[in-house]
Amino acid sequence: MAEGVPPMDEKAKRTRDLLASFYSPDASAALGVGGGAGVSPRRIASPDSINSPFFDPEVYMSILVQKLNMEGLLQKHVEMAAEIKNLDTDLQMLVYENYNKFINATETIKRMKNNIVGMETNMEQLLVKITSVQSKSDLVNTSLFEKREHIEKLHRTRNLLRKVQLIYDLPTRLAKCIKVEAYADAVRYFIGAKPIFEAYGDSSFQDCKRASEEAIDLVIKNLQAKIYLDSEPIEARAEAVVLLKQLNFPVDNLKTKLLEKLEDYLLKFQDEYKDTGVSACNATESSDIGQLPDTVSVGDISKIIRAYLIIFPDSEKRLIELVQKLFNRRYGIIQQRIKERMTPADLLNMMRAIWEDVNVMDEILAEAALPAFSLEAARSIVQQYISTSFSYLLDEITDALGKSQQTQKEVVEECPYQNTLEASKKTIIQGSLDLLLDFRQLLDDNLELLAKLTDLIVDWVQEGFQGFFEKLNEQFLVLCGRGYIANPDSCQVDAVQMDKVQAGLVLVLAQLSVFIEQSAIPTITEEIAASFSGGGTRAYEHGPPFVPGEICRIFHSAGERFLLLYINMRTQKISVLLKKRFITPNWMKHKEPREVHMFVDLLLQELEAVGMEVKQILPQGLVRRHRHSDSLGSTTSSRSNPTREDKLTRTNTQRARSQFLESHLAKLFEQKMEIFTKVQHTQESVLSTIIKFCLKSLQEFVRLQTFNRSGFQQIHLDAEYLKNTLKEFVDDEAAIDFLLKEVVGAAHERCLDPIPLEAPILDRLISIKLSKSKEQSQTSP
Amino acid sequence: MRGPSTGIVYGGLKYQARCITDVKADVDHTSFLAGTLSLKEENEVHLIRLSPSGSELICDGLFYHPNEIWDLKSCPFDPRIFSTVFTSGETYGASVWKIPELYGQSNAPQPEQLVSLDEHSFKIKSVLWWPSGKHDRLISIDEGNIFLWSLDSSNKVAKVSSSKDFLLSSGLTEVISQESVGMLQNLSGGAWDPHDRNALAGICDSSLQFWDLRTMKKTTSIEQAHIRDVDYNPKKQHFLVTAEDVSGIQLWDLRRPKFPVKELPGHAHWTWAVRHNPEYEDLILSAGTDSTINLWSIRLPGNEGSSSESLFDSPTTLKDSLINSYTDYEDSVYGLAWSTREPLIFASLSYDGRVIVESVKSFIKRK
Repeated sequence: MAEGVPPMDEKAKRTRDLLASFYSPDASAALGVGGGAGVSPRRIASPDSINSPFFDPEVYMSILVQKLNMEGLLQKHVEMAAEIKNLDTDLQMLVYENYNKFINATETIKRMKNNIVGMETNMEQLLVKITSVQSKSDLVNTSLFEKREHIEKLHRTRNLLRKVQLIYDLPTRLAKCIKVEAYADAVRYFIGAKPIFEAYGDSSFQDCKRASEEAIDLVIKNLQAKIYLDSEPIEARAEAVVLLKQLNFPVDNLKTKLLEKLEDYLLKFQDEYKDTGVSACNATESSDIGQLPDTVSVGDISKIIRAYLIIFPDSEKRLIELVQKLFNRRYGIIQQRIKERMTPADLLNMMRAIWEDVNVMDEILAEAALPAFSLEAARSIVQQYISTSFSYLLDEITDALGKSQQTQKEVVEECPYQNTLEASKKTIIQGSLDLLLDFRQLLDDNLELLAKLTDLIVDWVQEGFQGFFEKLNEQFLVLCGRGYIANPDSCQVDAVQMDKVQAGLVLVLAQLSVFIEQSAIPTITEEIAASFSGGGTRAYEHGPPFVPGEICRIFHSAGERFLLLYINMRTQKISVLLKKRFITPNWMKHKEPREVHMFVDLLLQELEAVGMEVKQILPQGLVRRHRHSDSLGSTTSSRSNPTREDKLTRTNTQRARSQFLESHLAKLFEQKMEIFTKVQHTQESVLSTIIKFCLKSLQEFVRLQTFNRSGFQQIHLDAEYLKNTLKEFVDDEAAIDFLLKEVVGAAHERCLDPIPLEAPILDRLISIKLSKSKEQSQTSP
Repeated sequence: MRGPSTGIVYGGLKYQARCITDVKADVDHTSFLAGTLSLKEENEVHLIRLSPSGSELICDGLFYHPNEIWDLKSCPFDPRIFSTVFTSGETYGASVWKIPELYGQSNAPQPEQLVSLDEHSFKIKSVLWWPSGKHDRLISIDEGNIFLWSLDSSNKVAKVSSSKDFLLSSGLTEVISQESVGMLQNLSGGAWDPHDRNALAGICDSSLQFWDLRTMKKTTSIEQAHIRDVDYNPKKQHFLVTAEDVSGIQLWDLRRPKFPVKELPGHAHWTWAVRHNPEYEDLILSAGTDSTINLWSIRLPGNEGSSSESLFDSPTTLKDSLINSYTDYEDSVYGLAWSTREPLIFASLSYDGRVIVESVKSFIKRK
């Protein structure tokens, strides 16, 4: 609606619209444009909009009349009148303006007409002149044409001639260049002439081309020679390469050839190095190992490499490879040597030599990252060195232990086990200390390479000891035939070996475990604390790598276990003996005892064997009671328990029932014998444990049988005899008496007719046996 | 008694004794049978019952047995039937007995001898019932042979009503002849696989041999000398435990008979008997001649992958194992029996004739 538009604009707008409709051929478009900005009267044809082209005065009037009262109408009338007046003036203005413009236009046209009239003649004159100029110039052109063409031809010929001259001169010029070694010029000339040769080489300039190509071949040859010549300055050689490249010569081939040459050279160098290394090793001249052979040196190599770097800037990668290969090989040699076991001094010498070379090389080929590479290699080498050292020590100990088994079969030594034990002890402690010393040397050396590894070395050494002792323990288990734990695959073999394992060796192992626990570990711990503390660069979360407490614990339990195993092995043997003794005869039909049964001798033999082994290996107990010096003297004491004897005879007449109760009661009142006490690592403890075990087994075997009178008497006789003889072995008489009494008691219980032998007969049989065995022992040794 | 004793002691056995057995078929009471071993006196079989309060052992029946008893087994499906192996001097025998109706009088009638296993020509070692339930076979082992006896099946029904008809028809038995006949084999005992009524383990001098009762052929063996006792794991097939003189206790998986799955140290002297708990498969009880009973806890490798790594445990690690050691004995302990009715109770019998019943409840709770 019109209300939205300010009234002052109203007028101007209308004027503009009108003007536009006047000038514009399409009034509706102009109106549309004008209306689009405003109210768009065409679309919304409001009946009261006067400005609309669809204005209908009738409707407008009727609306006005309806809408407005009188006063409004009057006001409207006044407004409209004013508006009409305005419109009139506007129209007048427009007419006037138009008129003005018309007059101006007329004047302009008149002026133009005047100007054009004179121009036509001028133009005609100009045309004539131009035509004459043109004809004249044509004349000149035609007259000069021939000459110019000639001149141009001459010029071309001259150029060609000059070029031909150049080409004909080329071979001589090249020769001259070659003479003064101005190869760069020669190459330039040749390249200049090259297109001509390519175009006409086959026809006109054949000879010339050939000659110059020969010359250039010579140039190439010379250049190649120059490159290969190490004495030439590097710059000259680099230039030569550039020139060759310009000549499209296959430089890459050249490069690879050169590099191959270098590789050969390096190989030769390595071989020589290896040879010297090996020879030095053979000659054990440790000082020479680090030295390089005279013919080549790393210095030379480094020079060559530097030269190549400049000559072939793109060959760096290959060179790095080569150098790394070289050092790889050298470290490989060391690793091989480590396997053959070497002294730390040797190792250090070799490492130092290589490290020096690495430094030289690093100056040239920093990109090869040789120090880092070396550090890595040194790391693995040192680690390998430490681990191999430990495995050698392990082997040594195993050898020391294994030797006993062989030597014993061949030569009956005085005390093989003792020797084995001492040797193994010495190997363990001395070997460990030597290792520590060696590693110490590694640490103390001021080699830069190793200095970086100090912490790691400390860790490795500690780890090494930890692993070493753990492995040693496993090895012990294997040695005593229990090793299938560690390796389930080989268990079959080990299990078979179990039977072959010597009991003595088990005892040695037991004692060795104690030794490791009590003296080796503390010594080594001290030593480690003194020189290998610190470390721990990695893995404090795992605690320090070497845990002496744990190792001690392992070997403590191992020691006990081996001791028990030894006792078990020994008792098992005796147990078989006893079993045979008791299962074979028919005890119900046993004949009257004539002598002490043979099994007692066997038993005593076994015990003697045990005693021998024990004496060799185990220390004596601290408390040693007085031993019976005379075995015969104890014959009387064999019957030192007359009450028991009496009791047995007396009970014979009594009812068995009350006898059972009686013995039961007696047992209650007796102090319960502690038979199965803890075994200690002493001769006495082990021996007495074995004897106790055997007697207990004897009792159990007796309990499983039923005896007639003679059988019982036989057992009784054997027991009485044992009572005397066993005292030879142990001081724990009380326990033995008790156990033997149990044996006799068990036989008594299991006897249908338990009448003991008469005392004199018993004594006589025992003394006969004793004297017989004494005789034997006198004659046999 | 020295020291605090948790066990309930039954002192009724007046003679030495080796055998005690759980009366498995008695569902109403926790009861055991124990037999004496007296060379010269009249031997007795005691039916011992744990009082309902669990604080006392009552003698519920005392029966005279003509000879000393070396083996005693209770029938697993009839509480009134038991078998014995006995010797008298040089003679030996094995019989199946029936406890007579008591009719008030508690004392000492002779038990009714149902059948005597008379085919044996060597010293009889033991009689075996199939442990897992009713089965019409019975096994007896002597030093050279294994006998499979057939129960007369036609009389099974009658057996409930009339005691006389429980018969073993020895005519139907098969006798296994061993490859190496006679004493060389030296069978000393055995066990019947509770998972397979055709599998039997027999203890020989140098090995544990397994027999298939259908073909009467040896199937496999565990080469291990000095075995004293063997017991199948009642819960896990293929697993069994052996007790040895020296090596202690070893657990075996029959599918890998070369090496023991686990070793336990056993006893200070021989390990005489070993038994799996009927309910808790990881509990093992062992009795030894060092006058102790040891209660062990074992972790068996299962078929499941989770525990299979324990197969590679070092068999000598003993850390798990020993739960408790009962040392309150005066003499070697030969008899050992878990109660089937109350699986946490076991009875033990030492040579001096003392029966001690102990409960392991406290150890189970702690776990």
